[in-house]
Amino acid sequence: MDFQFSEDEIRFRDSVREFAERYIAPRWVEIDEKGKIPLDLIKRMGDQGLFAIPIPEEYGGMGGTMLMAAIAVEEIAYHDPAVATAVYVLLNNGWPFALYLHGSEDAKNEVLPKVASGDAFFGIASTEPQGGSDVAGIRTVARKKGDKWLISGEKSFISGVRELMELPVGGGFFLVAKTEKAEWGHRNITDFVVLPKWNGKLKEGFNPTIYDEIGRHGISTGGFTLEEFEVDDKFRIGEENKGFYYVLEGFNIARTLVAAATIGSARWALDKAVEWLRERRLFQGRPLASFQGISFKFAELYAELEAAKYFVYKAAWMIDKVYIEKDPTYKPKDLNVPVSLAKLKGPETATRIYEEVLKWHGALGYTKECNLYRGWLGTFSYTIGAEGAQNIMRYIIARDVIGSEYVRG
Amino acid sequence: MRILVAAKLSLDAGQLKFDSSGHPLIDACPRRMGDADKCAVEEAVRAKEKLGAETVVVTIGGSAEHARIIRDAYAMGIDKGYIVRINEPETLSLPTVARIIAEIYRRTGPYDLVFLGVGSNDTHSSMLAPMLSSMLDIPLLPSIDKLDVKNDGVEGIATMEDGSYTFRARFPAVISITSEANEPRIPTLRAILKSKRIPIQEVSPEDLGVNVERIRLENVERFILPRRRILMEAGDQSQIEEAVGKLLEALRSEGVI
Repeated sequence: MDFQFSEDEIRFRDSVREFAERYIAPRWVEIDEKGKIPLDLIKRMGDQGLFAIPIPEEYGGMGGTMLMAAIAVEEIAYHDPAVATAVYVLLNNGWPFALYLHGSEDAKNEVLPKVASGDAFFGIASTEPQGGSDVAGIRTVARKKGDKWLISGEKSFISGVRELMELPVGGGFFLVAKTEKAEWGHRNITDFVVLPKWNGKLKEGFNPTIYDEIGRHGISTGGFTLEEFEVDDKFRIGEENKGFYYVLEGFNIARTLVAAATIGSARWALDKAVEWLRERRLFQGRPLASFQGISFKFAELYAELEAAKYFVYKAAWMIDKVYIEKDPTYKPKDLNVPVSLAKLKGPETATRIYEEVLKWHGALGYTKECNLYRGWLGTFSYTIGAEGAQNIMRYIIARDVIGSEYVRG
Repeated sequence: MRILVAAKLSLDAGQLKFDSSGHPLIDACPRRMGDADKCAVEEAVRAKEKLGAETVVVTIGGSAEHARIIRDAYAMGIDKGYIVRINEPETLSLPTVARIIAEIYRRTGPYDLVFLGVGSNDTHSSMLAPMLSSMLDIPLLPSIDKLDVKNDGVEGIATMEDGSYTFRARFPAVISITSEANEPRIPTLRAILKSKRIPIQEVSPEDLGVNVERIRLENVERFILPRRRILMEAGDQSQIEEAVGKLLEALRSEGVI
């Protein structure tokens, strides 16, 4: 067992840190205030190779690993603790990777290089107005017509809807649909690459809306309806009616990176706390850290964050074993528990840290002048959902550890 | 064109911590390529991109961190690297360091340009470039903030306290680069992964025929410039002259001017 990052990982982390210090940290408040990651920053991140990190170079990727993607996402979230930039980066690593695993050669060659360069966005479109975690219950339908598919339905709470409209090439989604009929169940699901805007052209049959959220404003969340939206069969992902399994693999990847974003943000909050606990003095000049009511709480939170970090690194390391090293010892289903641990602990630890650190700042913590609230709201969104609700993580852990036959009752 | 760059592993001064008695915790301080050295590497890579050149980096030391400096330079675009293997390079005398680089220049040359950071993050003597230019008997462009490498020579601007100086030289020349000269590129992951595959040439001071002299570092202490706050009141325009007079008087009495 080795708890050290490799030299490549350390050098890559240092390069991302330097990049984020130079180009993201000075703008993160503005990104949250204006509700937008500037396009020049997206392009710069593309030039720096921060998208498609684990994808081989032959598809325009960086030839790295999922652990490297997690390292990058964590560092970026440290420098944009409201996590919008980190979420943008994680989506454009996780879902392109899911496409790389199961997409057709044509789809991969068409989409991946443009996502890697930062000219296009590629995210996930699974959630619908009636729910997100209940993937088997989706109602969007894909109907086959010759060598095309006509997709109709509604997706909601989708990241990146505005960004794909604004980017020069455009972008799209790993979209989950029912094949033929919208009956509940997971055996009739097929995934598609849906590109509402591509090569600068907006396609017909795509009607987007943008939601107004309470935090993490830099990346858009929206919804859209599709009306007989035409998709070539080459953009079908993997085999027909096996989409449920592919999207769950994608969720395992994205959940790990979501957790990486939340621990990066929380690390920033705890670093702020260390400064504050040393400098803030009261009751005849005693540093705040000298009060055990606070320093002991700090120690607990520090321990929780360390634990969450190792959950994230282990999950990413196992993803690499399964998909990059193709180590036969590990199967995709082995990822369920490690990934769920990371996604369960990352966001919840981060929000707990923010709540405490904010309180340690007293009334100042509750002002907009103190930017802690931005990180609080940003990480809180991932305790609600994004790639599965927290209770889904609990369910997966309980199911796989206690046994499916007992947990289902 | 061929360009040699010398880079030093130095303390990351921004991360240097001190114990309660003011002693710097040097062993615990992370080390990396100095800021000005990184700018020197960047200038070499820019010259290569502009005019076409083979770029070579050299560093002195025996640890894995020294090898990392070479690989970091490769990841920025340098083509070839030499590591001069020697223990405790921080105790080498400056003339020894200059002789080692001069021998690399002579034995792996010819070179048109030699780039160095104006000073390292830790010792920052700024003496290496002048010493090297004197040993090699080639022109020196010192403390350059803005550099223009042309086909037949080089022009650099140095900003000093009393104004800007423009230096011009034909090849070969030694140029010391400041950390204000450019914004060094940040290596991409692809470049980092590729840099591992480029071999590093290893030599020793004996291979170069250099007689090693060492210095002994007696002590390092934190130097804190004592501060005093002097307030001169000037409520309106008429009092400014009087306040300036008082300020000058105070500065004279403190021996500042």
